[in-house]
Amino acid sequence: MQIFINTYGTYLHVKDEMFEIRVRESKQEKFKTNHIAAHKITSFVVSKGAAITTDAIALALRHNIDIVVVENDGHPMGRFWHSKLGSTTKIRKQQLEASLNQEGIRWVKTWIGEKLANQSEYLIDLAKHREKLRNELQEKAKKIQEYRSRIEELEGKQVSEIAEMLRAMEGNAGRVYFEGLSQSIPKEFKFDGRSFRPAKDAFNAMLNYAYGVLYSRVERALMLAGLDPYVGFMHRDDYNMKSLVFDFIEPYRIHAERCVFGMFSTKKVNKAFFNEITGGVSLNQDGKPVLVEHFVKYLDQDQIRYLGRNQSRSNALQMDAHKFANSLIGKV
Amino acid sequence: MIVWVMYDIEKDRSRTKAAKICQQTGLYRVQYSVFLGVLEKNQFDSLHLQLEELIDEEKDSIYMFPMSKDELKETVLLGQAFDKDFVTDEVRSLFF
Repeated sequence: MQIFINTYGTYLHVKDEMFEIRVRESKQEKFKTNHIAAHKITSFVVSKGAAITTDAIALALRHNIDIVVVENDGHPMGRFWHSKLGSTTKIRKQQLEASLNQEGIRWVKTWIGEKLANQSEYLIDLAKHREKLRNELQEKAKKIQEYRSRIEELEGKQVSEIAEMLRAMEGNAGRVYFEGLSQSIPKEFKFDGRSFRPAKDAFNAMLNYAYGVLYSRVERALMLAGLDPYVGFMHRDDYNMKSLVFDFIEPYRIHAERCVFGMFSTKKVNKAFFNEITGGVSLNQDGKPVLVEHFVKYLDQDQIRYLGRNQSRSNALQMDAHKFANSLIGKV
Repeated sequence: MIVWVMYDIEKDRSRTKAAKICQQTGLYRVQYSVFLGVLEKNQFDSLHLQLEELIDEEKDSIYMFPMSKDELKETVLLGQAFDKDFVTDEVRSLFF
């Protein structure tokens, strides 16, 4: 179970070897305390304005629970994690090497290729139930496929040689894709391309938050597989460092997109979920739980058929991370 | 498996201790002396041993009932009922 702490002044500490979470909604109210056994929790997602004791951190570390500190838009800023590696250092050495050679190119091409395949597939799915838009969506799906094959053809000795071309193809495909999504969304939620910090519309605000949740999941999966999240092959994070999380997340972005878009098209989204802020829109205290509940269920509970087994999307993601790590050290 | 734990313990100290042990094992308190939750087989066994050590066998009693998910679905709850999804660990995210 993931615990999300958003209420200002929440106090997380340890009592009787269990986590105790103390919240007070307003000054007039009494504190509400909740006890949760440590092994029931997989991670804490905490926004600013909460207090955590070092004992709570220690208990979390002992139980492999990560504590993620997130910004208001759900984007993780950092995390507490024990200082042990998830696996052997051999993986990290190979990872560094791969980031500088053709192996890196192969992986980056696979990830972005998969992302584009997912995008095109989703547009085709959307076209099925949208008579009027059918041709246009299928046209767009085809265009994305073309970008995909152009990426396949790129060759070089190092990722940096082809990075610019990759970014261009990826960006173009993304624009086509989100245009398609915007056309298919209920009228009142139409949007104009991707936007973040701040999101300019409700759809982007929700999607950004979902990406934030996903980002933190991917980082965790990579660490558990023994990889270094900060040795990336191509993408840069906000600190302008190459971050593997941004590379590895690509094939899984579709989870956030399908889940969020699904919520809009099945009318699970309400205008009251959003606040107007300067220059944009942000998801508020009413909206966040609804989104996270849907998304966590989508990732952890709903099962997909993957590699011949029925399993959750987050399990599949973890398996991919292990497979990637193993392939770096030549075990697959 | 889903496990019900109920007890009748005379001594205050042991009773408080029993409640703590149940919660630490991951059970939820559904009434003062009734706990419910999902346990692995080994957790069940270790809970059993811990509780056994605690009680006075001449006076106290503890019941541990395993139950299947289907059976839990058929249970009748009146009044201040607990959340079935919650005790079966189907709630995957909690907000504070």
